[in-house]
Amino acid sequence: MSVLILTSEEDVTADMVVAELHAMGTPFLRLDPADVPDKVVLSAHYAHGDFDGHLSANGQVLSMEGLGAVWMRRPGEPAANAAHPSPWLTAEARQALFGMLFAANARWMNHPRNADRARLKPWQLRVAHLSGFAVPPTVFTTAPRLARQFAEEHREVVVKSASGPPPGDPGLSLPTTLIGPDADFSAVAAGPTLLQRYVPKRADIRLTCVGSRLFAARKTAAPDQVDGRYGDTEHAWEPVPVPERVSKSVDAYVALAGLAYAAFDFAEDEDGIWWFLECNQGGQFGFIELETGLPIAAAVALWLSQRKPLGHRQVEGAWGA
Amino acid sequence: MRPFTLNYALPTRLQPVVTPYHFDASLQLNVLSDGRPAVSDPELLMAVGTTTSTAGSQTHFDD
Repeated sequence: MSVLILTSEEDVTADMVVAELHAMGTPFLRLDPADVPDKVVLSAHYAHGDFDGHLSANGQVLSMEGLGAVWMRRPGEPAANAAHPSPWLTAEARQALFGMLFAANARWMNHPRNADRARLKPWQLRVAHLSGFAVPPTVFTTAPRLARQFAEEHREVVVKSASGPPPGDPGLSLPTTLIGPDADFSAVAAGPTLLQRYVPKRADIRLTCVGSRLFAARKTAAPDQVDGRYGDTEHAWEPVPVPERVSKSVDAYVALAGLAYAAFDFAEDEDGIWWFLECNQGGQFGFIELETGLPIAAAVALWLSQRKPLGHRQVEGAWGA
Repeated sequence: MRPFTLNYALPTRLQPVVTPYHFDASLQLNVLSDGRPAVSDPELLMAVGTTTSTAGSQTHFDD
């Protein structure tokens, strides 16, 4: 069976998996939906009660009949790179490409339907609660009074964006920021605002789940550091074992979310508790693998190559488990 | 009125990223100027920073 990788050409993290697929001898096709129709040819046939389709790019051809798995890595908007792009062309290209792929009998990492839902932060928090994670108290509101009450109750809270920096403004970043109850909350009325109780942390944890395999890495935080993505802590990511309680919660979370891949962010407090911050269904793993040597790309390639999921949990850390 | 969250946005100093590799359609991955896959040089990838957790934040928000 073949693998389809949907991502941009410049995605070198995907290259790490491509190299593994080459080594395994697994046939695959890599393309960017943005390159439909100029560099990607597609054709789907619905006739005589049957369906078949083909995709072609980079001199390779993939049949829907032989498609085993699809990896949604960093795909562009369909037809975004077309000679004459338009919202209508994007809509048509999405219909053609994803309509064809959904009709195939393939496994997804991750299915777009589940991925869309899994991106929603308030939904994540609910599922995290149901899965047994420790979750900091959080409010997402357009009411200045409620935001102020939340900050007064918890004293130290962080404000963070649910969707990331404003698209189209590459000159802006939105790091998670610590604020106090004295902030002027009137502007909460101008847009939904996510406030969360601050968790004083001694380390950031990134746990990458690939099918039934877990890869956890830990980086010691700098004193008073709030957002682990910004600032040099002079510490490196190191592999760590996954506590059994967390492993069970990850199991529950990915089952509820329908995810084959997920990257969890935790804050480790002074008592060693891993507080759930978020789950990125398409989170980066390249930097973790490069710094720790955890074989995440190989696990992704193996999952994509297999026809059925692995049957049992395998936890991978510095000392196994 | 500016949304509350944007009050905490910071300007990012964007450095022009020159990636020392290019996409090879036949191998379906990026290669260095000498033809080796870019992933064969982990130190280079870490130096370029294209695999980090903020590398795709402008186009993909689930990093």
